[in-house]
Amino acid sequence: MKIALAGNPNSGKTTLFNAITGRQEYVGNWAGVTVEKKEGPLKPELNREKADVTVVDLPGAYSMSPFTSDESITRDFIRDEKPDVIINIVDSDNLSRSLFFTTQLLELGVPVVVALNKYDTAEKKQSSIHLDWLSERLQCPVIATIATKSAHNSGLKQLAAEAIRLGLSDYRQPAPHIAGTRHAATEADFEKADKKRYEFVSRIVADVEHRKVSSASQTAQDKADRIIASRWLGIPIFALVIWLVFSLSQAWAGPFLADILVGWLDAFQSWVAGLVSGVNPFLSSLLVDGIIGGVSAVVGFLPLIMILFFCLALLEDCGYMARVAVVMDRFFKRIGLSGKSVIPMVVSTGCAIPGIMASRTIKDTRQRRTTAMLSPFMPCGAKLPIIALFSGLFFGNQGWVGTSMYFLAIVIIVVSGLIVRRITGDASKESYFIMELPEYRWPSIKRAALSMLVRAKAFIIKAGTIILICNAVIQILQSFNWQLQLVGDAPETSILAAVASPFAWLFIPLGFGLWQFAAAAITGFIAKENVVGTLAVTFSVTRFISVDDLALVGGAGEVGAVFGIGAAAGLAYLVFNLFTPPCFAAIGAMRGEMESRKWFWGGIAFQLSMGYTLAFLVYQTGTLITTGAVGTGFVGGLTAVLVIAGVIGFFMKRGSKLSESMEEGVHFAG
Amino acid sequence: MLANIIVIAVIALIIGFAVFRVVREKKKYKGNPACIGCPYNHSGEGCNRNCG
Repeated sequence: MKIALAGNPNSGKTTLFNAITGRQEYVGNWAGVTVEKKEGPLKPELNREKADVTVVDLPGAYSMSPFTSDESITRDFIRDEKPDVIINIVDSDNLSRSLFFTTQLLELGVPVVVALNKYDTAEKKQSSIHLDWLSERLQCPVIATIATKSAHNSGLKQLAAEAIRLGLSDYRQPAPHIAGTRHAATEADFEKADKKRYEFVSRIVADVEHRKVSSASQTAQDKADRIIASRWLGIPIFALVIWLVFSLSQAWAGPFLADILVGWLDAFQSWVAGLVSGVNPFLSSLLVDGIIGGVSAVVGFLPLIMILFFCLALLEDCGYMARVAVVMDRFFKRIGLSGKSVIPMVVSTGCAIPGIMASRTIKDTRQRRTTAMLSPFMPCGAKLPIIALFSGLFFGNQGWVGTSMYFLAIVIIVVSGLIVRRITGDASKESYFIMELPEYRWPSIKRAALSMLVRAKAFIIKAGTIILICNAVIQILQSFNWQLQLVGDAPETSILAAVASPFAWLFIPLGFGLWQFAAAAITGFIAKENVVGTLAVTFSVTRFISVDDLALVGGAGEVGAVFGIGAAAGLAYLVFNLFTPPCFAAIGAMRGEMESRKWFWGGIAFQLSMGYTLAFLVYQTGTLITTGAVGTGFVGGLTAVLVIAGVIGFFMKRGSKLSESMEEGVHFAG
Repeated sequence: MLANIIVIAVIALIIGFAVFRVVREKKKYKGNPACIGCPYNHSGEGCNRNCG
């Protein structure tokens, strides 16, 4: 039996899906989080009949007439795959809007059970809904649910039992309202039918719902939004929030917890080193430094990442991140995007892959592709160890480093958006963004902890698989030369050094023209955490968190002695890794969402150019400020940057001409 | 000599297991490169995200 979960965006479908299947799919307190259908078996404790039940979570939709591609997934699934039952999740606090879609679902003939979700929110607002009357008017069961609570007192048991009962029967759902859109030929016919449907829904709502608080009156939430999402205060508040999050994760609690973890990892490494002290030096080094040391260097950042994800989950859950989309909308409008593009970028702070995929909710093809191209600029979870490493080594774990990387990412996205707009010749004056702001609520510690644990598990699995393999390969490549002889204390003669050195030459104007940094940047494309792992292996340093052991407490100068670079070059390397193309997995997602070779390869070239240019500017400016002279390789780097600027300028000029010719065409046609 | 063999076996076991996990994921997702390393492929039946 197949049960489909369908409903408006942000009605709580994925929360309900997770609650009845026991899965841990990503949930966000805003519209447009789910863009693909997800399947899972019903929990055994909710399945007393022991039926073979698969639950399918569908992306949110406002109607059966698709506006975005993720809405069409819902429509196609319900029409083509014919589920046995539909559980229609209705937001109790938005009854009139939600029932429009309900009446469309009821027309399909498939049994429908309405889950009146977020019932607690409606009750808090002193709204009451007469469930029996609503059930009678819709001609289907209506069950009040609170998907965020445990199964015992949330109505979920009753909901599952009712859905299974209907699914096992041959019941054909009657429709209380037939709009007659099936034979509608023109847009006017659809509009007429929709108007009738709204009238029908309004009559039902007037009968069954009693609201004490008028929607028109200003609530405390509205007052809060006037400050939090305000034109002038929105950005400073966002900056303060991000700074607090980064300070907590990377300056206050994070390093303290990480130091304890690194201590354990270090003890384990020393214990293994003692065990293998008598074996072949290469084998010992491969196991102790390559495998254990490399993985430990990455895993050591786990507490920092967990705290950051915990805080971000709290911010999402309380409804704040949806306000960020509104705050950013006015900037994005100016670059031909909309606030809708903000959501993929905020999602990208967790992982670029779902962030890129979230661009699917954007209807306009150019905006969608641009968003998929720019979203990876946001520092994702995998880049956090790199931020934490360089912030810790060169800037004493200052919270401003991570915060500034976030805001630098936003600035780069805005600038890049403008460039892409000019290149593509987009002449549209304005774009509009309508987003339903979720209610503020106390964030759930349990949900935030679950979100954090899911990401932590994924991080550990990644460290134990891909990163481990990469570190082992790096250790082997830096232990042998092309004649397959051990290089001993001369790793600069190794295969790894030979492969990475040509790239290192390109990085001289960026301040980190060492083969170790080049090798780390290359392995970073497999997974960004590899940058830290590879640096650990190539520099034989594993205790990145506690700098005491390395005698690096003296400041950036001593760090430079170990790494061979200064603070300006360290910051440039950080910028380079953050703003060049993401990992291969995210590149694959970009290719999928862009659906155009030209856009895809153009996007990769653009990201590479952006990363290189920024790193050059950071290193050369930083060196000029700190030493009074430009850094090494200035002329070569400047030439490369000017060539990049020239190529981008050429395409922008061509795009402008295209735009002008299109506008002339419109005038002529007009 | 015996110690060397044991260390080689341990290293082979660790790397072998890591490679096995990656290959298994790759097979599960029909060679979709976007799934390798994706933090969302933790769910047992595949993620249905069709990234690539």
